[in-house]
Amino acid sequence: MEPVLAKALLDAGDKWEVQVRKGCLELAILAALWSERLYGLGILRRLAEDSALIVPEGTVYPLLSRLKAEGLLASEWVEADAGHPRKYYWLTASGRRRAVQMAQFWSTFSANLAVLLAPLRKEER
Amino acid sequence: MDDLGMGQRKIKKYLRDLAAALRTLPGTQARDIVEELRSHILDKVGRDMTSAGVDAALAALGRADDLASVYLGDALPAQALVSRSPLLIRRRWCRWAGQSFTGLLALIGSLCGSFVAAALVGCALLKPIHPLTAGLWRIPDAADPYSFSLRLGFGSVPLGSSDVMGWWIIPLGLLFGLGIFFLTARLGLSSLRRLRQANPLGPQLN
Repeated sequence: MEPVLAKALLDAGDKWEVQVRKGCLELAILAALWSERLYGLGILRRLAEDSALIVPEGTVYPLLSRLKAEGLLASEWVEADAGHPRKYYWLTASGRRRAVQMAQFWSTFSANLAVLLAPLRKEER
Repeated sequence: MDDLGMGQRKIKKYLRDLAAALRTLPGTQARDIVEELRSHILDKVGRDMTSAGVDAALAALGRADDLASVYLGDALPAQALVSRSPLLIRRRWCRWAGQSFTGLLALIGSLCGSFVAAALVGCALLKPIHPLTAGLWRIPDAADPYSFSLRLGFGSVPLGSSDVMGWWIIPLGLLFGLGIFFLTARLGLSSLRRLRQANPLGPQLN
């Protein structure tokens, strides 16, 4: 394959992956907060440890701010042992409903896509 | 200055730059953002408050201006959608125009709509002050027999011109001017909704 074409395909692949991660991030954050209250860095660590979803730190905080503005999250400042306060987030009732809806959609969507991708998996082997 | 002092100074400067870039947000919201990021940086740095440790923490967040622009890109549509303020919608359009060609087209459309609306309303309001010169005039022109000019009444009208609408320019100018103004704002609102749905995080996330 021509090097320029190969690079273009790689770049296109990178962009696609960024878009997929971007699309999943909202659901991932809601899911991370499903069972516990977390502060920003705690959410980032949870995403990295549980789903290998490593996102730039600068994108999570504005998203948390937007989810809160939309009424899906609530937050409060809590004094921590670290010596400085931390802003903890948790899901509101509306956030829990939204998380369930998104999870249902994601399950259906990925199951349907898996059928389509089955022949490609054989090719990978 | 020792290494620890340098690290603290870098954090202060980063947060000062961030606060300056967020100055258009309401004060409490901007302060909350800055405090949250201060907390994040201190958590990341932990005990390594050296210049290198702070550099790594700040680099992971990205430039203060870029970070602020994601907040602003997110906050402005939200404020505009909530308040439905035509001014906020137009401010958001200006920001959008700097980010994409579609945004630029939307801004040009918005400016044209606002210009026509302002001209109609201005003409209607100035008609009582300049009854003989303000209004929609048909100008005699050999090349184009249907040459019209919307005039605010400053200066004279070319000889042979006729006032097409007369005093009707007042109700019709106000009606159409305000109509176009709010129609443009409404179109802006729906395009902002679409933009927000299509690009919930703004330009970052690479």
